[in-house]
Amino acid sequence: MMYKAFFNGLTGAALLALAGAASADDLVLENAWLRAVPPVSPTMAGYFTLRNDGDRAVELKGARTDIAGGAMLHDTETTEDGQARMVHLSGITLEPGDQATFAPGGKHLMLMKVASIPEAGEEVKICLTFTDHDDLCSDFPVRREAP
Amino acid sequence: MLTVFRWWPVLAGLLLLAACAEPRQELPVNTRLGGDFTLTDHHGQPFRLADQEGRVVLMFFGYTHCPDICPATLARVSQVYRNLREAGDAEAVQPLFITFDPVRDTPAHLSEYVPWFKANVIGLTGSEAEIRAVAEQYGVVYLQSGDGAAAEYDFTHSDYVYLLDQQGRVRKLYPSDFNIDEVTDDVQSLL
Repeated sequence: MMYKAFFNGLTGAALLALAGAASADDLVLENAWLRAVPPVSPTMAGYFTLRNDGDRAVELKGARTDIAGGAMLHDTETTEDGQARMVHLSGITLEPGDQATFAPGGKHLMLMKVASIPEAGEEVKICLTFTDHDDLCSDFPVRREAP
Repeated sequence: MLTVFRWWPVLAGLLLLAACAEPRQELPVNTRLGGDFTLTDHHGQPFRLADQEGRVVLMFFGYTHCPDICPATLARVSQVYRNLREAGDAEAVQPLFITFDPVRDTPAHLSEYVPWFKANVIGLTGSEAEIRAVAEQYGVVYLQSGDGAAAEYDFTHSDYVYLLDQQGRVRKLYPSDFNIDEVTDDVQSLL
């Protein structure tokens, strides 16, 4: 039994060590990636899931990364008549047990004024920022397709 | 008689297969949308849709400063093209990307953007009036939002992908998160 718990722990640690994943004591970031775009693009979109395993609410406010002049939380809303529009999210509150999913066609992290667009296969360090919580940083792999 | 009974499951299976293999329904022609147009391609040359006669066209409206839906949709259209190329059908298909952001999406900018998708995509731009006219022909609605003066603006926009047949007629519209196999099959049904 102890062996099993030990190996389960090892597996969990190994998974979190992979690119696109990170955890604090109470927050778990998984499936993080950036969509590869042409080098001439000034913007990139990032995706991830964030789970609050803690016992208090946290508010995701935004992100920071050295490659971009700014980062914002956006949502792509599709209206009833089929129009898509981007909406700026000032913050997302995660109650204990909540999970936020940032995925193509929906919520996404928008990196603006990207000085040099990274290529598919590279990794970019991005730190999610919170109200009353330490930043949560992870290497976001750049991919042409969703994982 | 016993022999017939022994073979009846096989016969039933064959009948079922025959039922499933019904010829696929022909895609209807959408008579409300579409029409010929002339814009400027990413080489700065005039592009007329009618010159694509004989080729199936996959057409999408967007803008290059859009970080989420537009590159994702172009990537999907490109995957359809690559599937068709592997099947030997690339010559019969032309992907088009029409911007509704002519101020930032100049031919020079598009010429650095569309080739990256490696799918023979032609980027199209024009004057605001020309693009507006084409959008209206195809029922595309778009609205600029944000600070145009600061070049920090987005668009609220329709995000359909259009399948045009060899005569330039609209045969089907897809949502931007379309199924790649479905579109590939639809294109091949027109070839």
